[in-house]
Amino acid sequence: MTLKVYCDRMSQPSRAILIFCKMNGIEFEEITINILKGEQHTPEYKVINPMCQVPTIVDGDFTLFESHAILIYLSCKYPGVASHWYPSDLIERAKVHSVLDWHHANLRRGSVGVIINNVMLPLNGVPSNPQAAEEAEKTLEKALTVLETFWLKDGPFLVGRSQPSIADLNLVSEVMELDQLLSKELRDRILSPYKKVLQWVEDTKSATAPHFEEIHGVLFKTGKELREQLASQSGKNE
Amino acid sequence: MALKVYVDRMSQPSRAVLIFCKINGIDFEEIRVDILTNKQFSPEYKAINPMRQVPAIVDGRFKLFESHAILIYLCCAFPGVASHWYPGDLFKRSKIHSVLDWHHSNLRRGTVGLVFNTIIGPLNGLPSNAQAAKEGEKLLVRSLAKLEDFWLKDGRFLTGSLQPSIADISLVCEIMQLELLSEKDRDRILSPYKKVVQWIEDTKKATAPHFDEVHGILFKAQKKFRERVATESVKNEVKSKM
Repeated sequence: MTLKVYCDRMSQPSRAILIFCKMNGIEFEEITINILKGEQHTPEYKVINPMCQVPTIVDGDFTLFESHAILIYLSCKYPGVASHWYPSDLIERAKVHSVLDWHHANLRRGSVGVIINNVMLPLNGVPSNPQAAEEAEKTLEKALTVLETFWLKDGPFLVGRSQPSIADLNLVSEVMELDQLLSKELRDRILSPYKKVLQWVEDTKSATAPHFEEIHGVLFKTGKELREQLASQSGKNE
Repeated sequence: MALKVYVDRMSQPSRAVLIFCKINGIDFEEIRVDILTNKQFSPEYKAINPMRQVPAIVDGRFKLFESHAILIYLCCAFPGVASHWYPGDLFKRSKIHSVLDWHHSNLRRGTVGLVFNTIIGPLNGLPSNAQAAKEGEKLLVRSLAKLEDFWLKDGRFLTGSLQPSIADISLVCEIMQLELLSEKDRDRILSPYKKVVQWIEDTKKATAPHFDEVHGILFKAQKKFRERVATESVKNEVKSKM
């Protein structure tokens, strides 16, 4: 029975799984759970993942959620997966675990907070909380600085590696969400100081071509639409 | 060269790493980094962990931080560690990764949000943030419900296991931080979750006597905090009557 991947291409961790499967020739069935339409809350999906989030995989009898856990499972389960994705050396592997763990409360938290406060809430006409917005931006800037000065200090890829690991897929997908959903002005202000981070995004794109661009297609299209919608909304307000 | 473990016993993930090392007979040197007096910001500690957080380990020339990564490393690096802590079976191991990942944005985030904004922040003279405390409590309660209904539905320990894993030590140490709240608040929050309460006891027993020993400082702090809060509320009551 083929591996089933429940995902939404607008979701950063979903894209990491899809790119990984395609890069490694893993046969799978992609099942879209549309987050913007609330499909993660249907009773049918709740049976698959009681946390009502994407991504989730079902491999025969085995169901698994949390994207880092999924990427590690796939790396170990499929013998064709090249070892640079999840190194077998204990120390290299520990460093990959370390940056994946750091991600949750740093890059991810900051990025999600900035997008909610600068894109999602305004789009829905909901006033954002200035304190929450400021904290999210502070968290994100701190995370980008740590990426620039620590996680990327020794190599083109995270934790000093010369080839990408599952951590690069996951964290670059996160940065892409900012790149595509924020207004040009906000994106330039927040992202452009971080030269190594920007280069790393390009290096990861190249290393996972052509799948990276293909899987990010939905984000590119939707991002453009959302940016135009927000721009016209704020034009009307003026 | 012995393993060095940089910790503060007031820190939940620090306690998890200490208990794990002791229960597995791993030889290590415990080096205290006092968070309350900001020792994590010293230049010496920054060289160990540029994130300036605890715990961190130094094993020979190798430095590592993030407690889950540390626990996994120790399971694999030290041959005496029993396999139930981090099973070799891919399915069991994946479920442990899954709950450890879930923990960051759920149980941990909720607990830290509530305890910091209710107790630690105000006692250190920071303005209290009732909104943040309320959101922390909401997330914590949602997380406890998920533990009760999902993560503990199939066995005494997380993910349906009969024996504890590194995930049980990590998450139980997090819940222990609620001991810093008033007894009334702690009981109000925890007591509806019978499986969770039993699981805490089972994990304590499975890691005895180290669990209680490592938590000694937390209980001392609990006594101090509760006395201070009681004094503050008496003062406020007197002021309001004047």
